Amino acid sequence: MPDQPHDDPIVGRSLSGPLLVASLILLATLAWALYDEFYGLRPWKDYQQHFVHLYTQHLQERIQEQSAAEEELRRSPDYQRLEQALEEARAGVAPEVERIDREVNDLNRRISALTDVFATARGQVTAMIYEAETSPAEEDKEQILEEVERIRRQGFDARLPVPDGTMETLHYTYDELEDEYDQLRERRAFLLAHRVEVTQHVKELEEQRQTYRNQHIIGLAETQLRGLLTEARNLELEIKQIHVQDTELVDRCESCHLGVLEGRRVGIELTAAGIGGERLFASHPAPELLAIHDPERFGCSPCHGGNGRAISSPIQAHGRYRHWLWPLSYPENYQAGCQQCHARDMVLEHAGVLNRGKELYRLRGCIGCHRYEGFDNEPERLQAVRLQMRELELQRAGYELEIQRSIQRAENPDTPLEEARRLFARATNLRVTISNLEAEQEQLQLRARDLMREIKLVGPNLKDVRLKLRRDWIPVWLHNPHAFRPTTKMPRFRLQEEEIRAISAFIWQSGTSGEMPPQPRGDPGRGRELFETHGCLACHALGEGEDAVGSRFAANLSRVGEKVNYDYLVRWIHNPRQRTRPYCPREKRDLTPEDYAKHGLPFRFDFEHSTCPNDGAELQVQNMTVMPSLRLTWAEARDIATFLLTQRSQAPETYAGADFMDDPGLFERGQSLVRNYGCAGCHEIAGLEEEERIGTDLTTEGSKPIERIDFALLTHQAEREGWYNHAGFFERKLADPAIFDQGKVKEPLERLRMPQPNLTDADITALTTFLLGSVESGYGFPPQYIYQPTDRGRDIQEGWWIVTKYNCMGCHQIRIGQPSMLMTLPRYQTPEGREKLPPSLIGVGARLDPEWLAAFLANPALSAANLHRNGVRSYLEVRMPTFGFTVREIQTLVRFFGALSGQAQPYIRPQLEPLTNREWVMARELFTHPAAPCLRCHATGDPLHDRNATAPNFLLVKERLKPGWTRRWILDPASIIPGTAMPSGLFRRQGNRWVFSGPLPPSLRDYRGDHAELLVRYMFYLTRQEQRRLSARLASPGSVESRRISLNLVESH
Amino acid sequence: MLLRKLLTGTTVLCLVILVGCSRGEEAAQPQPPPARPEGKSVDSATAATIQGRVLYQDGQPRRNRIRMAADAVCVQQHQGPVYSQEVALNDNGTLRYVFVYVKGQALAGYSFPTPTEPVVLDQRGCLYTPHVIGAQTNQEIKILNSDPTTHNIHPVPQNNREWNTSMPPNANPLVRSFPREEVMIPVKCNVHPWMKTYVGVVSHPFFTVTGEEGTFEISGLPPGDYTIVAWQEKFGTVEQTVTVGASETKVVDFSFTPGGSTD
Repeated sequence: MPDQPHDDPIVGRSLSGPLLVASLILLATLAWALYDEFYGLRPWKDYQQHFVHLYTQHLQERIQEQSAAEEELRRSPDYQRLEQALEEARAGVAPEVERIDREVNDLNRRISALTDVFATARGQVTAMIYEAETSPAEEDKEQILEEVERIRRQGFDARLPVPDGTMETLHYTYDELEDEYDQLRERRAFLLAHRVEVTQHVKELEEQRQTYRNQHIIGLAETQLRGLLTEARNLELEIKQIHVQDTELVDRCESCHLGVLEGRRVGIELTAAGIGGERLFASHPAPELLAIHDPERFGCSPCHGGNGRAISSPIQAHGRYRHWLWPLSYPENYQAGCQQCHARDMVLEHAGVLNRGKELYRLRGCIGCHRYEGFDNEPERLQAVRLQMRELELQRAGYELEIQRSIQRAENPDTPLEEARRLFARATNLRVTISNLEAEQEQLQLRARDLMREIKLVGPNLKDVRLKLRRDWIPVWLHNPHAFRPTTKMPRFRLQEEEIRAISAFIWQSGTSGEMPPQPRGDPGRGRELFETHGCLACHALGEGEDAVGSRFAANLSRVGEKVNYDYLVRWIHNPRQRTRPYCPREKRDLTPEDYAKHGLPFRFDFEHSTCPNDGAELQVQNMTVMPSLRLTWAEARDIATFLLTQRSQAPETYAGADFMDDPGLFERGQSLVRNYGCAGCHEIAGLEEEERIGTDLTTEGSKPIERIDFALLTHQAEREGWYNHAGFFERKLADPAIFDQGKVKEPLERLRMPQPNLTDADITALTTFLLGSVESGYGFPPQYIYQPTDRGRDIQEGWWIVTKYNCMGCHQIRIGQPSMLMTLPRYQTPEGREKLPPSLIGVGARLDPEWLAAFLANPALSAANLHRNGVRSYLEVRMPTFGFTVREIQTLVRFFGALSGQAQPYIRPQLEPLTNREWVMARELFTHPAAPCLRCHATGDPLHDRNATAPNFLLVKERLKPGWTRRWILDPASIIPGTAMPSGLFRRQGNRWVFSGPLPPSLRDYRGDHAELLVRYMFYLTRQEQRRLSARLASPGSVESRRISLNLVESH
Repeated sequence: MLLRKLLTGTTVLCLVILVGCSRGEEAAQPQPPPARPEGKSVDSATAATIQGRVLYQDGQPRRNRIRMAADAVCVQQHQGPVYSQEVALNDNGTLRYVFVYVKGQALAGYSFPTPTEPVVLDQRGCLYTPHVIGAQTNQEIKILNSDPTTHNIHPVPQNNREWNTSMPPNANPLVRSFPREEVMIPVKCNVHPWMKTYVGVVSHPFFTVTGEEGTFEISGLPPGDYTIVAWQEKFGTVEQTVTVGASETKVVDFSFTPGGSTD
């Protein structure tokens, strides 16, 4: 027997076990791969299926609603009448239409048959003529042309259909063929035109029916909805993406958010509630934003953040993981996306949170420590202007040298004549160039002066503390400003008792000493009245906590009586811009009366006397506050100050004595602390005027790499709790600026310096949103998306900075739907109160002559002599203040208002046609008509009359208004300023013109012109004498008669 | 050579400093032209003379009256009517205010010192006195204002620098010069539009302006071939060529007609 073979592993051992396992593993892997391929990595497929389900359901519901609505419509008598008229009209024209259609049909067949023949013939002839034209030999040419002629005469056969269905064969020469062809086509064109005429009426009725339907049925028609339903059922499961070629942007957000743009595309709105409560399928909530940011061009992620290409999971797609730099914005911060491209817009439509953030940044004084590009950059611009001036100076010196050299060479007899002439010309040109440079230099010089005036600080001038404040109050304030005034801009610094003493002492001792001229006390009752009626509450508030009334733009004055020196306050209220000493930036100190006396000059400094007597440097001659002058009399200022002194909750004498403040030993310590805490960022402090901001530049803080943001010992906690990101840092830092010192052992001066700003949660969200959007150009969004408007857009953009800087919106409404501060005060809620409100500035660019507006902004009293009044609306108690605007601020504001109203610039005053004698008579009668007693309400300059006037003087019209606006205004004032005292309906439409609604005076009965137009021209040619004549006429006994007529009128209505 | 370089360098440096200090002022004083290589000077022993008269061929020209009503001060300066000096005919039938000068290659290589005596141009009675002047290049022209009214002096040259300076009554004399040859430079007063004078600028002393006798004499000429040019404000220029030998005196007469000129 053969040897039993050894135990051969190949024969004897089976590998089927491992193989089976391996193949099972392989199979499982394959299954897993397939699963991942079709489901695991494709979560969007689930979303899409889910969407189809919900969407079809939703559409079906809608279809039901719509069909019910349409059924109801069809049953309505109006619709049936339209329907019937349409049917009748159709029936009426049907035979004619049928006849035309039949003939056209026959013609079409005949033409198409003839076209073949004619096209062939023409091709043949054309080809031969071309051959003749290009043939070199004369004889050939002639021969070919003869052949052409022969063919044309010989003619062609054409088989044409006859209306009865048979065919006929006709023979045509070439010319006949062409004629026949043209005739047939002409006939067809005629018939088709005729058909349009015949069916015209039917078309109109169809349109009427459609219009009626559109007016009564909202949304898509049932058939349209059915179309959508079919589409939705057949929705292909695929990645849906927006690809913007220019910017290489790919956003696949719609792969899951299927409804977000669907509504926009097809014209329906999907709400979360309507689509099964799934927010992710709802339509984009701000279609007005999409209208100006077409998603096909802008994509999604540039505004919202997130990883637009990722589709493997929501976390991936939303970029909410460590390595994606631009995670999806949190809902409360989504307006950060706007800031990325709209950094230069101070006020942005549709971005209230962001606007609030910017406003806070400026108003709460963040800007005092943290530079931000574009914010309060007047000092930087001033520096740039000075640099530019130096450059021009050098350029000019260079040109002068070149002139010297050119002339010298030209005058040298050895220089050839031609060359000499060229050099002389060169010298002349350079001289002209220099004179242009001089013009430019002059502008820069003015600009530099203006910029000095435009620089404003957040906090008050601390050089005046000794003149202004009660000494003992200062340390109490420093200890906790919010305890004294919860809404103050002044943040709370984390100061030791010793630090408070040193800082108080330094501030006190560095202040200007002296005495204010003593002021007698005024009448507090009258002071309160003035305070409440003159517009102080547009910026300030009175009352604490819930009881506060007024604005938070400037200080709440509830306890001002505890801290302030009366004599100083009077002067401040009279003119807050008036400094006690001018500041010289070159000498870096305030000038004293001695500086002026040295040069034999009076101690006088204002915009006309703004150069330093020592060295001619431009001085800072006004307090760097935005508070304007209300042009009050001294008596009024005293009344208001006396009233404000009563605003206190504890007696000033109860403050503990603080004699240490006069201890000179504390001065240096105090100064170094003040420097350390950056107080000079917001305050003017003697010796620290040129201090730099101490904080980080925040212009691109939102794109600072997260590793460079110091979460300190809280890093791990932040990661654990999911706030290790920019938003988390900003929010926590703003709520508690010391938070990232937690657990650290630091020397006092090394601790974080940022003080507690005492912000509400909403404020923190707004500021966080603003900072999150503060990113470098191109950070997560294509740089070409940055909004860089020209002309109109830029004028608007620039204007808002000034408007918000001076809080114009405290008194005026500038944006539709946004009330001014005054409009919200109880005083102005009654009908009488509303008439006392400052005018709305909506559409003011179309209303006012820009030149006039510029003059008005410079001096709202419109008078050099009588300043204590409103130049236009003398009847308003709220006083339009003098802001001391610079030329550029005025220009910017004028352009801003013009741009808001879409006005062309510069404005060229149109010349109105002068009135004929007859028109003067007619206009006068209209103007003083009892049914339009214009002069009853409008001021006339007569003090007795003007006491009760509620509208401006007509004599201002010519300079102040634009004729087009004036016409629109008298036709329908309520549509321009809702709630105006000026009545509408003075004119009614008659054909193409407007005629007076009241009983027509005899002189106007056969006047064919436009009455409104006539009145406008009259107003623009009105003179003082004419107005006086009219007033006299109204006051004469004859007016009793007119009043009677007006009474009759009222009765007859 | 090194010295010259140093000199030029210093001049430029001074200029830079000068400009630096004087910026904002009217262009600084004209610099004296750099020294030129000395040419020959005329040997007075062999010098020749050319003399002659300038005749007018057509009887009595029409005289244009000047109306000075625009400035009462000007009117007061005159008794009776004032006539334009555009064509000034002497009693002997010759023309006054004709600028006669030598043009020609024969003078190349000579250099002539700039006369130290200035040419005087006065503004008197709202007229320029004399009506036409000649000056050598760089020779000072001293301009006076003898009128109790303000004039402005405004030369409009082609080859020299244009300037325009106001001269109030009693102003200090204005001293200027023209460094390049130019015949003629018109000079006007924009305040009194009728005022006009001409300055002939040549680079040598061989020029003159005819006076009341209508004669001219150009002396001190080196022997050679010359082109003699006579320029008249209204009738333009007439040229004649002349050859003079050593110490010779030649007579050359010019004559002008309204339609042009005849020799």
